[in-house]
Amino acid sequence: MKKAIKGIIFALIFCIMVEAISVALLPWEKVKKYGLYNTSAYEIVAEKDDSVDVIFLGDSLVYSSISPMEIWDGYGYTCYDCAQPAQIMPYAYDYLKVAIDSQHPKIVFIEANILFRDPQKLPLYKKIAYRIVNYIPIFKYHSNWKKYFTHDKNSWLNVNKGYIYITGIKASKKDPFNYMDVNDEVEVSILPENKECFDDMVSMCEENNIKLVLLAVPSQKSWSRSKYNMVKELANEKDIEFIDFNLDNDLEIDWATETKDKGNHLNYWGAKKVSDFLGEYMESTGLLEDHKNDPYYKSWHTAYSIYKEKLK
Amino acid sequence: MEELIEILEELQPDVDYETVDDLVDGRYLDSLTILSLISEIEDAFDVEIPTVEIIPANFNSAAKMWELITRLQEED
Amino acid sequence: MSFFNPVFAFAFIPFVVIIYNLFPKKLRAGVLLAISLLFFAFVSKWLIIYLLLSIISVYVTGISISKLEEKKKEALKTVEKEEKKSVKASYKRKEKFVLVLCIIFNVTFLFFFKYLNFFAVNANLLMDYFKIGHRITIVKHVAPIGISFYTLEALSYVLDIYYGKIEADKNILRVALYLAFFPQVLEGPIARYSDTAKSLYEGNKVTFESFNYGYQRILYGFAKKLIIADRLNIIVKSVFEDFNSYNGFTVFIGVAAYMIMLYMEFSGTIDIVIGIGEMFGVKVPENFRQPFFAKNVSDFWTRWHISLGLWFKDYIFYPVSLSKSMKNLTGKAKKKLGNHYGPLVSGSVALLAVWLLNGLWHGAGWHYIFFGLYHFFMILMGNIFDPSVAKVCEKLHIDRHKKGYRIFQSVKMTFWVFIGELFFRAPSLTVAFAMLRRMFDTFSFRVGELFTLGMDRKDYVVLMIGLVGIFIMGIVHEKGINVREEISKKKLVTRWAILYAFILVILIFGAYGQGYVPVDPIYADF
Repeated sequence: MKKAIKGIIFALIFCIMVEAISVALLPWEKVKKYGLYNTSAYEIVAEKDDSVDVIFLGDSLVYSSISPMEIWDGYGYTCYDCAQPAQIMPYAYDYLKVAIDSQHPKIVFIEANILFRDPQKLPLYKKIAYRIVNYIPIFKYHSNWKKYFTHDKNSWLNVNKGYIYITGIKASKKDPFNYMDVNDEVEVSILPENKECFDDMVSMCEENNIKLVLLAVPSQKSWSRSKYNMVKELANEKDIEFIDFNLDNDLEIDWATETKDKGNHLNYWGAKKVSDFLGEYMESTGLLEDHKNDPYYKSWHTAYSIYKEKLK
Repeated sequence: MEELIEILEELQPDVDYETVDDLVDGRYLDSLTILSLISEIEDAFDVEIPTVEIIPANFNSAAKMWELITRLQEED
Repeated sequence: MSFFNPVFAFAFIPFVVIIYNLFPKKLRAGVLLAISLLFFAFVSKWLIIYLLLSIISVYVTGISISKLEEKKKEALKTVEKEEKKSVKASYKRKEKFVLVLCIIFNVTFLFFFKYLNFFAVNANLLMDYFKIGHRITIVKHVAPIGISFYTLEALSYVLDIYYGKIEADKNILRVALYLAFFPQVLEGPIARYSDTAKSLYEGNKVTFESFNYGYQRILYGFAKKLIIADRLNIIVKSVFEDFNSYNGFTVFIGVAAYMIMLYMEFSGTIDIVIGIGEMFGVKVPENFRQPFFAKNVSDFWTRWHISLGLWFKDYIFYPVSLSKSMKNLTGKAKKKLGNHYGPLVSGSVALLAVWLLNGLWHGAGWHYIFFGLYHFFMILMGNIFDPSVAKVCEKLHIDRHKKGYRIFQSVKMTFWVFIGELFFRAPSLTVAFAMLRRMFDTFSFRVGELFTLGMDRKDYVVLMIGLVGIFIMGIVHEKGINVREEISKKKLVTRWAILYAFILVILIFGAYGQGYVPVDPIYADF
C-alpha cells in the first residue's frame, strides 16, 4: 500500500513537471489566454489577433498542397492551414470555432475529402494519439527548447503557417487521365453526422460573414468521380462554390515529379501550383486586400524571408 | 600441473596462472589460443577433450583445467 | 515494429505486466506465452506458423533424442563389454540422424525466406553468362519476424541436448516460451535454453522493485536511441544517399555516424529486452560489453553481439576445428609450423566457416559476405602478427598494459571496425569501395559542410553531450560498477530527482517528431 502511494505521488509530481515544461515550450502569453491544450492543439492561436484572412480546414491533403507563404508572396494575403493528420469533421468544426475566436477570416476553405471520413472509424490508436499529443504537448513541441538558445528575435515565429514543406519525390505509376474513374470502385457516402456537422459550419460562417468554399486538391488516391459528384451536389444545394483540381481545373501536375508518395500527396512543386491558383482565385473574389505595406503584418515579411531561405 | 602452466605460459605469457580464475570470461585466452591449448594438452597428457567440455567453466583457471585433465584421464 | 514507440513503452508493457500479475503463479507462464504469440501474430500475421513449426520440431527432436539415450542405457545393461562400443556407436548414429533431420528442417525455412532469392539471382547471372536460356523466377517473400534469431535458438536447444549439456524438456509450453518470449523474438539476444527457459516458466510476480529496476534499463535504451541514434540517422541518410556530393571528411563522419548509430540502436533495443526480462525475473544474457574499448578486432567480437559470437563459437568453431580430420591436420601442421602457428591452420579453417556464416546470417548479399571475410582476415592477421608485435614492443620497451597503449589499441581497432561497417551498410560492394576512395581522395577539414546535412549546431551540441554521457557510462560499466544499484542506495529525493531528470531529458532532447526520421530497427531485418 505504501508503495502504491509512493508510485502515485511520483506520477503526480511527474505530471506537474511535464505541464510546467509544456508551458515553457509553447508561446506562453497565448497559453495564458487560451489555456495549455488549446494553444498546443491549435497552432493558429499563436498568430497575432485578427491577422489571418483565409483559413484552410482539412487533413494531410491541405498541409501538403497549400503553402500560405506562396500566396503571401504573390498577393499579400494572409492564409493559414488549420489542418490535422486524418482530420475528421468534428475536429474541423472545433478548429474553426477556436480560430474565429481570435481571427476574423474573410474566406474559409474546407478540403472536402474530410466529408467522407467516418469519425467513428478513426482507428482507436489514432484517437488516443490525437488526445495524447494535445494533452501532453511536450510530444509535439519538445524541439522548441532550441528557441531558448538563440538570439534570433523571430525564433517563435511560425514560418510555414501550417504548411509542411516536403521535397521528396516518389513518382506515380497511375494513369493521370482516368484515376477518378478507377477510384470509383470504392463505394463512398457522406454520413448524416458529417452532413450535420457541415451544416453547423455553414451557419457558423454565415453568422460571421465568412465566405465558405469547398475544395478538392489534386490527389490520385483520395479523390474519385463519385466523391466529386457528391460534393458538387452538396455545393449546389447550399449554393456555395466548389473548386476542384481533379476534373474541373487542370493544373498540369506532373505526377512523375510533383508528388511525394506515388500520387496521394503533392510535394513542394505541386503545392506551389495549387497555391498560385488559389491566390489568383482569392484575388478574383475582391474580398481581400494586399497587406504587404501594412506595418501590422511586418512579421509575415520576416517569415517569408526565412521560408525562402529554406527553399534553397 | 607444472607442465600445464608451462604450456599456458608459452601460449600467453602475460598472465599469472596461479591466481587468475577468469581466463576465458576475462578474455585472457581467445578462441584460437584455446584451440592451440587444447591440442597441446591432448598431446602432453594423452587425453581427448570432447567439444562438450569446452566451456568457460573448465578453462577459467589452471586449476580447473587440471581438474578436467585428471577427470578425462580417469574416464579413459 | 519497433520497441521505441510510445505505445509499446508506456502502454503495452504496463498492460502486459498488469495482466500477467492478475493471474495466479501457475498460469502466468501460459499468459506470457499467449501474449508472446499474439505479439508475433500482430507483427507477422499467419507467418507465425513457421515459428510454431520450429517449436514443435525441436520439441519432438529433443524428446526423441532423450528416448534414444534411455534405450541406449537399457541396451548397455544387457550387452557384453566388447559390444558396448558398437552399441554406443549405433545409438549415436541414430541420434545424429534425428538431429540432422531437425537441423535441415529448420534451416530450410531460413534458407527459403532469406537466401533463396540471392541464390536465384546469382544463378540467373551465371546462366546468362554461360548463355543457358533458362531463368529462375524471383518471388519476394516476407520473412517471419526474428526468424534469424529464433532459428539459432532452436538449433542451440537440440544441439545442447545432443551434446548432453541439457535434458530434453518434456513440457512443450516451456520450449515455446523460450523461443517466442516477446521482447527477445525481435532482435535477440540469442539466449540458450539454460539461460532463460526455467525462469521464464516460473511465473515470478512483477514486483514494484523489479518493475522499477527493469524500467530504468529500458529508459537507458530509449536515451541511446532517441537522443543519439535518431540524430545520427540524419547524417547517415544524407551521406549514404549521396556521398559523391560531400568531401572526404564528411563521408568519413557519415560512416563513423553509422557505426555509432548501429551500436546505439542495437544495444538500446537489447537494453529494452533485458529490462523487460528483469521485470519478469528473467536474466536475459548481455549482448554488449563496451565494444569500442576492445583491444583488437577479435576482442571486439566478444563484446559486440556477444550472443551471436558465442553461438558461432560453440556450434561452428569448436565442432569444426576439433573434428577428427581437423585434428589430424593440426598434428601435421604443428610438426612443420611449430606450436603457435600449427593449430592456427585448422583454427583458421574453422574461423573462415564462422565468418562466412556470420556474414551470410546478416543477409544475403555479397557485401555481407565480404563483411564476414574481412573480419576473418583481420582476426587471422591479428593472431599471426601478435607474437611479432609483442617482440617489437619488448625491444622498444613499450609496456602493453599501460593505458596509453590500450587507448592506441582501441583507436586502431575502431578504425578496422569502421571499415567493416562501411561494407556492412553500403548497398553494394562497388558503392563501398567508391565511398572509401572518396574518403581519401577528397579529404579536407571542411567542418562547415557538416551543418548542411540537416542538423543544426544545437543538435550537434546535444549529440556530443549525449555521446560523452554514454562514454562515461561505458567507463563506469567497464570498471564493473552497477549504476542502478548505486542509485538505489541513494536517498529518495536524490533517486527521484535523477529519474525525473533522465525522463525529461529524453522527452525534450529526443530526436523524434517533425524534422527527424527515426532509425528503423536494423537488426530485426537480419
